[in-house]
Amino acid sequence: MLWSRRSVFLGLVVGGPVVLAATLRLAELSGLLFDPRRPRPAGVVVYGMMIWLIYVRFLVPVLGVFYGTSLIADEVDDKTLTYLFTRPIQRSAVIIGKYLAYLVCTILLLLPSVVIVFFLVVPLGQGATIGAMFPTLLTDLGMLAFGLAAYGAVFAFVGARLKRPLVVGLLFALGWEPAVLIAPGYLKRATVAYYLQALVRHEMPQDSPASTLMQIFREIPPVSTSLIGLAVIVGLGLWLAGRTVEVREYVLEQ
Amino acid sequence: MTADAGSLDARVREGEAPRAGIVVAEHLSKWYGQIIGLNDVTLSVPPGITGLLGPNGAGKSTLMKMITGQLKPSQGTITVLGERIWGNPALYARIGFCPEQDAFYERMTGLEWVTALVRLNGVDEGEADLLAKRALELVELSDAANKKIGAYSKGMRQRVKMAQALVHDPELIVLDEPLSGMDPIVRRKTIRMIREWGRQGKSIIVSSHILHEIEAMTPNILLISQGRILAEGDVHQIRSLIDEHPHTVHIRAERPRSLAREFLAHDDVLSLEFEDDAVVVETARPDMFYARLTTLAASGELGTIHEVTSPDDNLQAVFQYLVKS
Repeated sequence: MLWSRRSVFLGLVVGGPVVLAATLRLAELSGLLFDPRRPRPAGVVVYGMMIWLIYVRFLVPVLGVFYGTSLIADEVDDKTLTYLFTRPIQRSAVIIGKYLAYLVCTILLLLPSVVIVFFLVVPLGQGATIGAMFPTLLTDLGMLAFGLAAYGAVFAFVGARLKRPLVVGLLFALGWEPAVLIAPGYLKRATVAYYLQALVRHEMPQDSPASTLMQIFREIPPVSTSLIGLAVIVGLGLWLAGRTVEVREYVLEQ
Repeated sequence: MTADAGSLDARVREGEAPRAGIVVAEHLSKWYGQIIGLNDVTLSVPPGITGLLGPNGAGKSTLMKMITGQLKPSQGTITVLGERIWGNPALYARIGFCPEQDAFYERMTGLEWVTALVRLNGVDEGEADLLAKRALELVELSDAANKKIGAYSKGMRQRVKMAQALVHDPELIVLDEPLSGMDPIVRRKTIRMIREWGRQGKSIIVSSHILHEIEAMTPNILLISQGRILAEGDVHQIRSLIDEHPHTVHIRAERPRSLAREFLAHDDVLSLEFEDDAVVVETARPDMFYARLTTLAASGELGTIHEVTSPDDNLQAVFQYLVKS
């Protein structure tokens, strides 16, 4: 799963925040970037913004879409599915096994990036120290891992069910979810982001009108509700994915 | 043996006991939207090697996929080794399938790939390694076991596919166009291997659209075309089922015209024509004709008969005849 063009591309994408963090750190150390007449943003704030804007709103959903939808879809496109589905194991066991491999791989891809960014960015400017912020780092790592699990489960089902799952997945993660989160009402509870964003301990950035609207209509469920909600999403997504592969016929084109 | 085609006599099966066989299909149909893949197929595949023969698009792969549980029937039933196959993964411990598509995890070596697949049978790592090596030895790929599959030739790729089908020592092996793309030497070796597996007591269903390949492996065939089974059984017995239809005999003789005059005196000869030193006869009653011919050959009264062949007595003729019926 890791040795593919997709992984190289996503590896570069995941490396982007590390490069950004390293640039900021170098800029501060060299005194080049910041205006000495103005107060520098605290490293903690920069780190929080990166967690929101880069990891929670982009990287976690995108990794979930690209890898989750490909669990079965790649086997169908490569015509290797036959070998897996003619072994004496339940088809659902195949997709669950691939999902677990997805989870390990994406965690290994993403979380080191977060750790490096943390150590580069938190010491910037004035603010809390690394030691004081370390529990926040652990919370963020757990939150992002849970996000990968939830998005992965949803898109595993999408990939098992649909013929063009990547397009649908991207529309869901980068279109539907942000749109629904802005709007008032209960629809937002049908998104992973609603529960995941409630677990982010950092201040939501005011980076756009959309963020402002999100702040206005934002309801923050309790942590317990979010954890249960995400667990239900993982369980339901995997159950639906397993059920789909058990009953669906996959006609591989000759 | 049975034949089921437009102008052929079908065997009456009233009062017969339920079919027994490693694969039994009853009124099996499969359609994809408006397209019919299989059309009311009823068959019983006996133990041993059975060839599934038909042109491209005949329904061979559809039938193979239904036998291996990748497709479920739209109508009718299919059982394999006495059990329903769809949704019954435990049965795959007894079945090995070599699909037609040339698809692999190219970055893996042959040994890694076969080992990984047999591990899905619940085998531990050490045993999986041993089984995989044994399977690769059976298909004569031991030397290339540690090479990446991406570097394999076409013949090697086909053989490693067969290795993964054999690795868990199944009772039934299903091979979908196993000789596709092979050179003649490898083809011959593979046919020999398949026949050896049959001698070892395995049941094998092998599909092909190339007639002489099937003939080289087994006399027991299923003819399929346009989603229908045209005939099943021994190729010679199938031919005998159509004995009321003209049977062509090619006789190379010293005096073909004298023979022709003798033949025309009997009403079972429908037509004849001459070719160089031979006469080609179309007869409605081949048994009688051959008996008469044997007498003539023994007596020598109409000259020496050098050679008697029947272009009909092979799969090509049977198949073309049945497809046209």
